Amino acid sequence: MLWTVDPERDEPLFAQIAAQVRGAVASGELRTGDRLPSARVLATSLEVNLHTVLRAYQDLRDEGLLDLRRGRGAVIAGHADYAALDEPVAALVDAARRAGVPPTAATALVQAAFARATTPEGR
Amino acid sequence: MTTTSTTPAGARGDERTAPPHRRSTTLLALVLPLALMAVPALAALGWRDELPERIANHWGADGPDGFSSFAGAFVPLLVGTGLCVAQWAFAFWRGHDGVTRRGLVATSAGLGALYAVVVTGTLASQRGLADGALAPGGGPTVVLGLAAAVVVAGVAFLLAPADARLPARGPVDADARRVPLSRTQRAAWTRTVGSPSALLPAGAVVAATTVLAAVLDEWMALLVPVGLSVLLAAMLLWRVTVDARGLEARSVLGWPRVRVPVDEVLRADVVDVRPLREFGGWGYRLGRGGRAGLVLRAGEAIQVRRTGSRVLVVTVDDAATAAALLNTLADRRRPRDDRAERGTPRATAG
Repeated sequence: MLWTVDPERDEPLFAQIAAQVRGAVASGELRTGDRLPSARVLATSLEVNLHTVLRAYQDLRDEGLLDLRRGRGAVIAGHADYAALDEPVAALVDAARRAGVPPTAATALVQAAFARATTPEGR
Repeated sequence: MTTTSTTPAGARGDERTAPPHRRSTTLLALVLPLALMAVPALAALGWRDELPERIANHWGADGPDGFSSFAGAFVPLLVGTGLCVAQWAFAFWRGHDGVTRRGLVATSAGLGALYAVVVTGTLASQRGLADGALAPGGGPTVVLGLAAAVVVAGVAFLLAPADARLPARGPVDADARRVPLSRTQRAAWTRTVGSPSALLPAGAVVAATTVLAAVLDEWMALLVPVGLSVLLAAMLLWRVTVDARGLEARSVLGWPRVRVPVDEVLRADVVDVRPLREFGGWGYRLGRGGRAGLVLRAGEAIQVRRTGSRVLVVTVDDAATAAALLNTLADRRRPRDDRAERGTPRATAG
């Protein structure tokens, strides 16, 4: 798959890398059992620090999206149906653009909605 | 521009040129093996009166089982000469790609050494015999011949010069596919490619040698399947990467590997590969039209046209993205005044 990072953007590099894995899973480009390149290979190719890629991979493991095993590398784990969000998210982005709501505000609204939805269960 | 003196300074680098290093190719792939094979030929002439009427040239389980006349003893040398001339001719006229050229040179030199040692050895062991049937076994000679072949081939490979750096000038063709990248974005593409059709026979061989080792109760024999597995993994599973450095295909073991530096890329495209028809088989091969190919399976492949009339084909999925990224990154590395005007195809720009 194609990986890109943009050091000029405000989003940290590790977050950019993790976001691309999530996006590829959501779009179906990456599926359970697919192997990601080793952190060293990816770090060299993208000219970023090894720990930047490791941080991204660890975040994805904490989400349950990646299996990180010594000697086996990084493998997409059995995971929630990320693809189910593909269309609603695209619709949200589209709606935000048309309404002129900036991306930061739109994501803040999503986070607030999650906070409201999860508080009663006492997560 | 030290390698291809035929490339005038200021050329774009995509003109058709002759393969470089032709003198060393001729010395190592033609003169050397022919000189080596002249040794048994001269020895046979010198030993003519001492050799038996029928000369053993093939051995079975119970000693010699194939014989030839004196003149027939020269047949293997003629075969060897034919093989070496063929290797040399490919290297001389189609050896644009350094790895291919050096491989052909090494093969030719090694074949020359093999034939020289084996023929000399079998003839020497039959001097003074009344009949070829009395000839001693040829095992040690063959082992010595193979060892000599490996050593001579290795030395020839190292002596044959590799390709020198040959940066392209001028832009990547405007009609070649690209990926949209902002000026500050870094990008990489990477993917593994295997050889599915080879996995079954490879697995069968590994299983068979493992069973054999178990049946014979010889744990040392387990080295064969273990060694085979490592070797097969190296040949059958590769990681292909495109990034700011260029294209790299390397075995998952880390070696061997094939590289195209980004500044030598003229353009990359997607092609459909038929291994047998276009490359005569699978592996790292010289194909039709002098293309070098890392051919692991049939189907989609990235084809990179490179300076020095070199073309590299690597079979891999999603080759369209790989080719588009390689073109984009190659363009980025060109000197500023050489860069293509974005979105202005040259056909309409003129």
